[in-house]
Amino acid sequence: MHPTWTALALSLKVACWATALALICGVLAGYLLARRRFPGRELLDTVLTLPLVMPPTVLGYYLLVLLGRKGWIGARLQETFGINLIFTWQGAVIAAAIVAFPLVFKPARAAFETVDRRFEDAARVLGLSELAVFFRVTLPLAWRGILAGALLAFARALGEFGATLMVAGSIPGRTQTLSIAVYEAVQAGQDDLANGLVLITSAVCVAVLLTAGWLAPGRILNR
Amino acid sequence: MHFDIDIRKTLRSGKRSFTLEARFQSDSQRIVLFGPSGAGKSLSLQAIAGLLRPDSGRIGVGGALLFDAARGIDLPPQARRMGYVFQDYALFPHLNVRQNIAFGIERGWRNPDKHVRSEAVDYWLEMFHLQHLAHQLPGELSGGQRQRTALARTLVAQPAALLLDEPFAALDPDLRVQLRNELDQLQRRLQIPTILISHDIADVEMFGGHIVRLHDGAPAPEPILLKQVES
Amino acid sequence: MRSSLLRKFAIACVALGAGALAQGAELTVSAAASLTDAFKEIARDYEARYPGTTVLLNFGASGALLQQMAKGAPVDVFASADQETMDAAVAQGLVAAAERKNFVRNALVVIVPRDAATAVTRLDDLRQSGVERIAIGNPASVPAGRYARQALVSAALWEPLAPKFIQTQNVRQALDYVARGETGAGFVYASDALLFKERVKVAFEVPLALPITYPIARTTASRNGAEASRFSAYVQTPAAQAVLVRYGFLKP
Repeated sequence: MHPTWTALALSLKVACWATALALICGVLAGYLLARRRFPGRELLDTVLTLPLVMPPTVLGYYLLVLLGRKGWIGARLQETFGINLIFTWQGAVIAAAIVAFPLVFKPARAAFETVDRRFEDAARVLGLSELAVFFRVTLPLAWRGILAGALLAFARALGEFGATLMVAGSIPGRTQTLSIAVYEAVQAGQDDLANGLVLITSAVCVAVLLTAGWLAPGRILNR
Repeated sequence: MHFDIDIRKTLRSGKRSFTLEARFQSDSQRIVLFGPSGAGKSLSLQAIAGLLRPDSGRIGVGGALLFDAARGIDLPPQARRMGYVFQDYALFPHLNVRQNIAFGIERGWRNPDKHVRSEAVDYWLEMFHLQHLAHQLPGELSGGQRQRTALARTLVAQPAALLLDEPFAALDPDLRVQLRNELDQLQRRLQIPTILISHDIADVEMFGGHIVRLHDGAPAPEPILLKQVES
Repeated sequence: MRSSLLRKFAIACVALGAGALAQGAELTVSAAASLTDAFKEIARDYEARYPGTTVLLNFGASGALLQQMAKGAPVDVFASADQETMDAAVAQGLVAAAERKNFVRNALVVIVPRDAATAVTRLDDLRQSGVERIAIGNPASVPAGRYARQALVSAALWEPLAPKFIQTQNVRQALDYVARGETGAGFVYASDALLFKERVKVAFEVPLALPITYPIARTTASRNGAEASRFSAYVQTPAAQAVLVRYGFLKP
């Protein structure tokens, strides 16, 4: 398969998985910080938002140190499961998920905070368990804000470069995503390939933006 | 039904604090918590429903102990079967009238279908004359229609008691009179124990029963019995 | 009041801009990644020797540096890790052929982590299952990777070992991966191995058909032509050569 399509397929695969991961963690964290009060809550919020402002290479370095063979987490993964995440597409997913996480977490928290607690209380009084309250009342009232975050997260994950390069390397077919492929093509003077890759990437970005516009709140109200 | 309430709760907001001490026992089918705004009536009702945790004390309803600080008992609201109706009704804005009323029937993770069919739901829709509004969203209803929907939603779940937080406050005077009568008749027919909150003396006179007066977080000198209602 | 603040802001902007434009004697040197440490020291010596000159160093894979220059980056001196990249630079008119000089030699080695369990003494040993991954520069842009490929192709090992390759953006990245234990072996220069001698050990030197020589040249687009030539010449003086040898390079 032509390198362009391989890189595209890989980018989409990594971005989808990363967005799913960021979505689950972001919604959970957003809900906890919106509803529970505990000492150090705002400090935790700041820490969770860090990947948004940290340079991706710094993040990539931390991940490399943590997940590498001699790393705190990496060594244990190697011993217990025989897994090494460096140079794998799963490692790329983790890197992309971390940079995308704040883009889901912040809007999710804000969305949950705007959901009136009385609706949740009304559901509790009617006998619904906490999980049922979340899925039947809280989430339906907050999902638009969360969706906006998820789309941003997907776009970010798709374009992730710095952290991914450090953690997953640039292995064609396995971890060489579109952004990295462009970089390498330029470095190697392969301008034709670079042009093709850039065109594809731009087309995908436009498609994501159009989807975001189509899913915009105004449209959704017409049930 | 026997109500045995004896609770204390201190709420702090910045430098201000408010201490609630609510104490009353009653065998009446109708109890009115009466007092000015800020007296702690809503808080008391929320505590009975399980939405507020008192610092100390005891809540017993119909022989069941819902809360006892000393013994470490605190039933979650889900387990108390109290039919609590909020002051502004808290109807789920994303569900239509039918779905709102049917909400408590299924305890699963999925909301009822827009056209959910259920005998209980149809019964209450008819009882409250809401059939023609079944597909409307709460935002499209009038105050009186919302109140009836909220009541229907609560009654469908077959609660052990009704806890109504200022049920007529959000309505204009004429409607208030009409709905007060409706509630009076409803309570008589269903014979469901009801605690009602109000700061309006007219509600007290119409509804009657056991009056508990609260003032600034504590019971006012003596509970006055204005009218005994046949149980 | 507001207009005076605006005016002060505008003056500050102009001053900054003017400062940025003022060159003084500034030299931009693009050098292969393997020259990082040696050239940093050489640049300091040069600035001490010729006060008033500032040497700005830009390191990367030779191929990447070439692309930067080709796309118009303002570089005065180019030091590449192989002849091929310099040839390409000449072909594209980026450096003057007459200016180019070989200034240092290097050796290509295979390194393994210091605590490596598997013994590797020659290229064929890389086929062992104990060596799971091999760090190698991307041959398309990294000279060290090209040299490695030449050697492996000659030994008919390029295809068989291909699944194990982890291609890097430059030779220093390959060095890092081996130092971290992320790969079981890597192809780097002898000078790089020396730098990380506590964390990696040299398994063996890779036999190559031709010696590795680094050329340096002034660029045609340089705005400090005289200065650029002077730096180019300085690198070949005994003082600079001594620095290079200390960092593991060999005399040209």
